[in-house]
This record gives sequence, structure tokens and C-alpha cells, in this order.
Amino acid sequence: MKAKVSTEWLSGCSGCHIAVVDLHEKLLNLVDSIEFVRIPVLMDVRDYPKADIGLVEGAIRSDHDREAVLKMRESVDKLVAFGTCASYGGVSGLGWLYKDDAILSKVYGGLPTTTETERPQGAPVLEHSVIPIDEVVEVDVHLPGCPPHPYYIAQAIKVLLGEEGAVMPAGTVCSQCNRKMVKREGVAFKKGAVTAPEKDICFLSQGVICLGSVTLERCRAQCTNKGVTCAGCTGPSIAVVTEPHLDIRSMVAKRMSLLTDIDENEILDYMAKEAKTFYSYALSSPVVYKKPTVEIREWVGEK
Amino acid sequence: MIKVLIDEDACVGCALCVDECPTDVFEFDEEKSLPFVKRENECFGCFSCSEVCPAEAITHEGAELSRNFYHDNYALDLAAKLTPGTSQTSDVTDKVEQQKALDDLGIRLLSIAAVFRHTLGGSMPAVGTMAGRTLANQLPRYQVPESFTEVLEMASKQFNPSWDLNFTIEADQLTITTKTCFIRELCIKEGIELGGDLCVLFYNNLAGYLGKMSGMRLKLESMEPGSDQCQYRVKTFAPIKR
Repeated sequence: MKAKVSTEWLSGCSGCHIAVVDLHEKLLNLVDSIEFVRIPVLMDVRDYPKADIGLVEGAIRSDHDREAVLKMRESVDKLVAFGTCASYGGVSGLGWLYKDDAILSKVYGGLPTTTETERPQGAPVLEHSVIPIDEVVEVDVHLPGCPPHPYYIAQAIKVLLGEEGAVMPAGTVCSQCNRKMVKREGVAFKKGAVTAPEKDICFLSQGVICLGSVTLERCRAQCTNKGVTCAGCTGPSIAVVTEPHLDIRSMVAKRMSLLTDIDENEILDYMAKEAKTFYSYALSSPVVYKKPTVEIREWVGEK
Repeated sequence: MIKVLIDEDACVGCALCVDECPTDVFEFDEEKSLPFVKRENECFGCFSCSEVCPAEAITHEGAELSRNFYHDNYALDLAAKLTPGTSQTSDVTDKVEQQKALDDLGIRLLSIAAVFRHTLGGSMPAVGTMAGRTLANQLPRYQVPESFTEVLEMASKQFNPSWDLNFTIEADQLTITTKTCFIRELCIKEGIELGGDLCVLFYNNLAGYLGKMSGMRLKLESMEPGSDQCQYRVKTFAPIKR
């Protein structure tokens, strides 16, 4: 019998749903074992049919999202937080930095192109912040990724169907990256949107910030292997999640200063100044904002 | 003896562990360009290698992370659900270890309470309140609470899992119910009378915290310790306007 899969799309960009379609021919293999009963980008199903597996994309931003995720929880056996927004709040988690009123008055009046100052009536009411779904409902598996990598989508479904040997490993992006970490002297610290000239040497060794070593590997290191620094889109690594004293900023600075002769404080200051970039994916998750070393409101001048 | 394991597939060959290890457990194999464990019996389980390892490729068998009472259940649960099918997270999700740590902390608190009672004049309420106010100042600031109810909600989240706190407010009467409390469990286990110094210390600590967060003034009216749950009845006063 085929396992029934139901999906829901909350405050997200639909990218995670497109990633399911991106399974291409692997989708056909999967379709042998699963059947979609609800998938907003492909089917026009409005109610919540009973299913074995539920995939929820996006974070909770409004009362509509909250209601939708509760209905999903009721209708499925196993719930997957599908994508970084569902697990950690994602990029829209930057909304955590501001009060609702500040956001709304900016959007409906504070912009050069805005003529409308009236706020719409009857729209869903905003929650106090961007909320990862596991604060509201019980989640069975977290599959972060922006969007989740097709390999791990298949793995997650296999894990949930109880297939033997299916695992979701705990390593960081470095564990799949082919670049070589080497110690260097006289490396200049490169700031801004830059990449590194050498193709097979670690970015950190070349003085470019890469979040690979503090990011959970759910991506097969596809960015770093193709010459783009890791932006941390799959959220913090297991060590950063479980150990309160390990932080994205401090660990990158520590490793980079050990590999090169760049001053650790220079890296720390730069990462604090650009905190919205380096903390953009998991900011509204308690595992990040509760850390004693994370003072993002101070860093971005919102306090 | 501690067994140090390197996952060679995950290892990136940065050799940071070779430099970081205080007892030189690792050496670097230039041919394979990978580190290997040379002097395993020198390892004393400080975990500085697994902390610095960018690939999180080093694990220890037979060594435990120090009493991890600071671990919070939300993070442990998240870690387990991020990596289903692996055993790697089982050592950090150890609830037994957490209980040991809480017992440890409880015994320390009991002896501190005894010191205050017998040597330093017994000013338990003042000590508790001051500690609570300091705690409120030191906690990381996230969602800044706007009302007293929000402060209470935040507190019950913050004190979980060591304490399961329930708050009910009727007019100016606040009732605090503690369902699980590691201090009570310890008192019962060690045969210490409930409602003693430590309970007073705990209540005042909580009151100091709540007071600092909300600006309200709290006055304890009665305290009813029990073997399943304890109740504190508190009268609240609006903040003083200056």
C-alpha cells in the first residue's frame, strides 16, 4: 500500500514545494511508494485529508498559519518540518528584530512608493514574531534546507517509512566539501560579497568567511564545491544547536584565526556588524536567539 | 580508557586537532594528509578537539561531556529530530546525565542555604530576591515582554524543565503552582523537610526575577508545600510610578 503524503505551505516562498518537483526521475521512484493527497502547488485540495506523512513548508507568521499547522498536525501521522523556515524561521525570521507595528507602518506608509496609508481590513493578524512550527505543534523529523536537497528529501521519506539503513547524518558542510583546509600566513581578510581565487583550498584559509563549519550538512556541500561560500541556509550544526557556548560567529572566527594569521577580534567585529547576513537563516529560533553570546539587537542597532 | 574516533570520510585534514590538543594525542599523516590518533592513553576527555573540528568528525567513547545541566530540552529534542537514524546524538540527549547534574546542583544549593542560615544571619529572602533580579538582568534579551501575563508565560518556559511552573491570576492574587521541582524531588529523596530555607530561597528568587521583568511588586502570603505539588499564594501590587 502506498503511503499518503499531504503538504502545506505557510509563510514561505514555495521553494520547498518546487524542490519536491525537482526530484525529477527520482520522484517517479518515490511515487511507487507514496501518493500525494494534498500538495498546494500541484493540486487544488482545500481541506486536510488524512495522510501518513505531512510536509510543512514555511514558518508561522499569522493566525492563519497557526490554524493551518494545527489542522495539518491533526490530519497526519508523522509531521516533517520541511525546509529552514519551518525548522528555524528562515530568512523571514529577520522580522524577529522588529515589533509588528514597526513593520506594518513601514510597509503601509514608510516607503517611497507607498501611497496607501490604510491597512487592509480582514487580513490575517500577525503573530508576535516569526515562529518555527515546532513551538506550536509536535514535529517528528526536521529537514532544513533552503530548499531541502532532493537527496535528503528522499532520505527523510525513507526514514519515515522505516526503511533500513536510511540516515540523516550529523556532520557539518565541511564533511562533504572537497576543499582542503590549510594553514597559511600573510592572508588578507576579505570582506563583502567576494569569493576566493583558489578552487581546491578552503575559503577560511583564503581569508573569506564561509559558514560551512557551523552549518548542518543537508546539501551535499553543493555551494562550496562549486565556488560559492556557505551562507548557512540549512541552519546551525548539531554542536551549535546543543552547546550553548558555541556560536556561529565565535566558532567561525576561532577556526579562521587558527588557520590564518587574521586577528580573531577583527573577524568577530565584522560578523557582528554584518549580523543580518550571517544569522539570516536561523535568527528567530530559540537555539540561536537564546544564546548568551548572541546580541543581535545591539549589533544591528535596534535596541 | 577513552577511545578517540576520527571519521576519516568526514575529516578535511585541517590538522586543527593536532594543534589544539593539550596532550598531543593526534599526529598528522602527511601521506594520507589526515590526522590519526597516536597517543590515545594521553586523552583526558577535554573535548577541545571535537569543539574545534570543522567537520565534527571526532567522537569520544568512554568520556562524558561535563555534567550538562545547562542543556535545554528544546535543543536536545531538535538535535535528535534533525538526525534520525544516527546514534551520534544519543550521548548529548542523555536525560540520566541531566538528572545527575540537577542533583549535584541541588546538593550545592542545600549547603549554600545552610551557610546563609547558620553563619551569615539567615537573610534568605533578601539573598533570593537579589539573585533573581540579577538573573533577570543577565538573561539574553529576546522577545521583550509587554504585560505581566507575558512575563509569566516567559518565566514558565524559561524555568522548564527544572521546574514546571503554573501561574493563575485572579485580580491581584497570583497563585504559583510548581508541579515538578528538582529541589522537592531531592528533598524527598534525602529526607529534608519541605518548605524550608531552600523553598524560601527559590520563591524569592522567582519573585525577584518576575519583579525585575515586569516592574510589579510581589508579597508572599502563604506557602503550601506538598509531595506532588507546592503552591505559593502571592499578592501583587502595581509598579510604583516615579
